[in-house]
Amino acid sequence: MGSEHLSKQYDTDLETLRSGVLQMGGLVESQIRGAIDAFAHGNQDLIDQVIANEVRVNEYEVRIDDDCSHIIVKRQPAASDLRLIMAISKTVTDLERIGDEAEKIARMSRQIHERGHADLHRFATVRHAADIALSMLRQALDAFARLDAADAASIIRQDVAIDTEFRSILRQLITFMMEDPRTISTALEIVWIAKAIERIGDHAKNIAEDVIYIVKGTDVRHTAVEVVEREALS
Amino acid sequence: MNAAVLQPTEQVLVQKIQVKNLNFYYGGFHALKDINLEIPERKVTAFIGPSGCGKSTLLRTFNRMYALYPKQEARGEIFIDGEDILSPRQDLNTLRAKVGMVFQKPTPFPMSIYDNIAFGVRLYESLSTREMDERVEWALRKAALWEEVKDKLKQNGTSLSGGQQQRLCIARGIAVKPDVLLLDEPASALDPISTGRIEELVHELKNDYTIVIVTHNMQQAARVSDYTAYMYLGEMVEFGVTDEVFIKPKKKETEDYITGRFG
Amino acid sequence: MNLYTRRLLINRFNLAVSLLTMLFGLFWLGWILFTLFKAGFGGLSARLFLEMTPPPGSDGGLLNAIAGSLLMGAAGTILGTPIGILAGIYLAEFGNRGWLAPVTLFINDILLSAPSIVIGLFIYAVYVITVGHFSAWAGTMALALIVIPVVIRTTENMLRLVPDSLREAAAALGAPQWKVITFVTVRAAKAGIITGILLAVARISGETAPLLFTALNNQFWTPNMNSPMANLPVVIFQFAMSPYEDWHKLAWAGALLITLCVLALNILARVFFQNRTATY
Repeated sequence: MGSEHLSKQYDTDLETLRSGVLQMGGLVESQIRGAIDAFAHGNQDLIDQVIANEVRVNEYEVRIDDDCSHIIVKRQPAASDLRLIMAISKTVTDLERIGDEAEKIARMSRQIHERGHADLHRFATVRHAADIALSMLRQALDAFARLDAADAASIIRQDVAIDTEFRSILRQLITFMMEDPRTISTALEIVWIAKAIERIGDHAKNIAEDVIYIVKGTDVRHTAVEVVEREALS
Repeated sequence: MNAAVLQPTEQVLVQKIQVKNLNFYYGGFHALKDINLEIPERKVTAFIGPSGCGKSTLLRTFNRMYALYPKQEARGEIFIDGEDILSPRQDLNTLRAKVGMVFQKPTPFPMSIYDNIAFGVRLYESLSTREMDERVEWALRKAALWEEVKDKLKQNGTSLSGGQQQRLCIARGIAVKPDVLLLDEPASALDPISTGRIEELVHELKNDYTIVIVTHNMQQAARVSDYTAYMYLGEMVEFGVTDEVFIKPKKKETEDYITGRFG
Repeated sequence: MNLYTRRLLINRFNLAVSLLTMLFGLFWLGWILFTLFKAGFGGLSARLFLEMTPPPGSDGGLLNAIAGSLLMGAAGTILGTPIGILAGIYLAEFGNRGWLAPVTLFINDILLSAPSIVIGLFIYAVYVITVGHFSAWAGTMALALIVIPVVIRTTENMLRLVPDSLREAAAALGAPQWKVITFVTVRAAKAGIITGILLAVARISGETAPLLFTALNNQFWTPNMNSPMANLPVVIFQFAMSPYEDWHKLAWAGALLITLCVLALNILARVFFQNRTATY
């Protein structure tokens, strides 16, 4: 964010913090991918791995929040530094929640595959929604790395797409359940999985809002998409 | 936080001091360059900036303290309550009775605590002994010093500790009931507890007085002031609501100074 | 030898030399005081303070000389001090604009170190000859001319020591400059100024030459300031130069008396200054 601080240690600390966020983001991304693959193919090892990695995601959250406290107490950050620290603290919370959702998807996938009779190729829409959510997350982390507010704003539009996908998945599942009542348990689990994906999209949107806050200083939470885009491009 | 939807409460701000095209010279050195500024009434305005940026110089034009020294000269206009105080018709002493100042180093007069406070009051008001006693007590209470000195009002002012001396100087300044109070780094010579007391004091005083404070401690400016002006090399770089200046400054130079980037 | 030992030896050597030179100076001082005490102590008696200067051969005291010195000393101080203080105030408080102040200060320093006999001769030429006779007034004037530069110098120095922040603090309350000076600046420098006055008094107590050409001397006592008046320094001079033994004794007693006075004044000035100096 511009030139360097008088204190080199401060610059190093901030850099460590930012790369920590990106590493956590990368881990969470791979968790989502693993969970969705597990849903599609039922690979038990993959499911176990996702569930085990959840611990690492939590560790990241604790450590990064701790680092934020240290910087606040040591440096009394102001202006852009302050916004960065505040946003990182929130982003890390969102990433941890995404990690939780990925773990849920993995667990439910296990249950679906253990039960058997899952005609899952009919649920390409779930896969599709997951892809959107994943790309939103990747784009948000990318916008964070480059501190690009315009990019961050475009993510917020995509959240609408996920909501639409979710509703269509819901309709599909209702039809499915009405056709064959034996599939209700599986269908419900798929509903939770779709909900988890929708939540991942929401969290990615939050991260994008945090990026806009860092860059522009404007808090765009709970505002309409048009307003957000205007702020981001100003 | 500057939210896109929530607007800050609208307040009618009266401008107490208006500076127009102010230039200041120490001999040949151009210390203040074309300053334009408005200080709102009954709020605390802080001047921040690196050493030599002119913040103390600007402060001292408000009570024309520079007039004590021959080679210092101000050009431009400064209106306080609509009157240009830089005009040659302005009586310096009545100006200074209206615009008080507290300095960085505590400077108690070589007289009793009581007389220290009464000195300023006696200059322009004639009060009976009882009225003077009341005024002295009032000023000391306002400065949060009464409880500590009420039994030793006849003692010399120099017998107090540093923090107490500074509060004595503040009491002395407000005893004459000025409109404006100028504080030139009032806490920089004090320990953290005394500093904290003085900041509390500023917070209470702003209900009655317009306060302008110069400080090199940015966190103090953020804590204490409603408006902040950032100056650099004699120029006014940015002026705004304190929260905005410290969270979302408009100018890059301001941001660099506040975040400690002096590259 | 190593560095440490060498430095130690050099240190010890220098200390020894300093000590020896100090003892050398003290020795002479001690001898002077000792001689003074030995010769003069015997002459100290109540009679010294009760009887006038006698003609040679008879007994007497130094009453008229003491009274004369006190009177002229007081008068000279009273005349010179206000002038000195006011001038010192002007030079310190108003002297930062223009050329008048530095020039005045320079001339003052010359006057300060002028031989007092020159001052005596000046008053003699200007006043004594004009009025045609010696007088205590003339003596007073000469003493005042010695007091003034001392008081100017110390007043100006002490006032300059008062920090500007104090003046600014008073001015910031709206005090006009004369009030800043009288109530704050001078008050802050009070201890130093008074010390300066005491030192000036100590100085004039022992001056002989100026009184020689102005007040001269008087065998008797008269409170008339317009006539010559007896004073200790001139009496000592006269009695010491004489061939009479009892006059010598009185001269020694007088010399001791002056020395003790000057000593007392210096101690007083020192104690006073230390007790009253405020720290800024």
